[in-house]
Amino acid sequence: MAAFLRSKCSSVGRTLMGGLGNNLFGAVNSSVETVSRPSHCDPIFQQIRTFIQMRTNLKVVDNSGAKRVMCIQSLRGKKGARLGDTIIGSVKEAQPRGKVKKGDVVYGVVVRAAMKRGRNDGSEIQFDDNAIVLVNNKGELIGTRVFGPVPHELRKKKHLKILALAEHIV
Amino acid sequence: MRLEKCWFCSSTVYPGHGIQFVRNDAKIFRFCRSKCHKNFKMKRNPRKVKWTKAYRCLHGKDMTQDSTFEFERKRNRPERYDRNVTEQTLKAISLITKIRHERQKKHITERQKQGKTKQRERDAKELEQDIQMLPKKVTLSTQKTKVVVKVSQQQTEENLMEE
Repeated sequence: MAAFLRSKCSSVGRTLMGGLGNNLFGAVNSSVETVSRPSHCDPIFQQIRTFIQMRTNLKVVDNSGAKRVMCIQSLRGKKGARLGDTIIGSVKEAQPRGKVKKGDVVYGVVVRAAMKRGRNDGSEIQFDDNAIVLVNNKGELIGTRVFGPVPHELRKKKHLKILALAEHIV
Repeated sequence: MRLEKCWFCSSTVYPGHGIQFVRNDAKIFRFCRSKCHKNFKMKRNPRKVKWTKAYRCLHGKDMTQDSTFEFERKRNRPERYDRNVTEQTLKAISLITKIRHERQKKHITERQKQGKTKQRERDAKELEQDIQMLPKKVTLSTQKTKVVVKVSQQQTEENLMEE
């Protein structure tokens, strides 16, 4: 009978019934409602920062000619690529008369990732966006310039040329 | 070991703690904990959030001008290592910290004095207004009665003899 009443009542009524009864029906229900409500108006605040996986769009931060690349394969791990990893991508947007054109399948090194990455000193680093630098299958750079900040962890991954060309190393 | 300052609340960030956020113009924001990071993401101004150091300094809650702050200023010029100088510096750090804490305490006490005076005035006014609420027998000015006991020279001598 109580269950029937609960189902018929409104959300407020359900919460009250749950509070009055021995079970936590109402309490659970109310907590779910609060979680589902958007926490903040800012879209950045709501966005979940995760791995670079298939269909992730990345910004290209060199002068190879590509503007935007979509990841089609992560070359490391089961979940996806992170800061300093190599991926395979398809060029979705390119500048005219560039070294690569739209539709090309290219390799790229992730130089900035919005997902937090632990450092050797125990702190964590996080960037504003996901960005890559295009390389060939041997790991040599296609472009001749790298824009924006890059992390010094790339030294461990043997991408010394990227660090040499970078504007800022953080 | 490098001790950084949190961008939001200005507290010390020890190694192995906090998050470092790098904006695309290569500006680095260091946060001591997720509380500060979340507030930053919510675009909150640390000068308007009451628990931050920026707010406290801006509204005169904390000391802003003091000679002890000069020692803490960041210097980018490297110093040649000298053992004696290092030893003296480490001793000085603890001493200066102690002095700064004392001055901070004094500053807060001075700041709170005004409030205490105002509170006393308010209490007196309230007492004046609601004096009729007190029972008749209660006297506000309790006079302390002094009891004078005379001790003769003879009694003191007897006490000494007994000892």
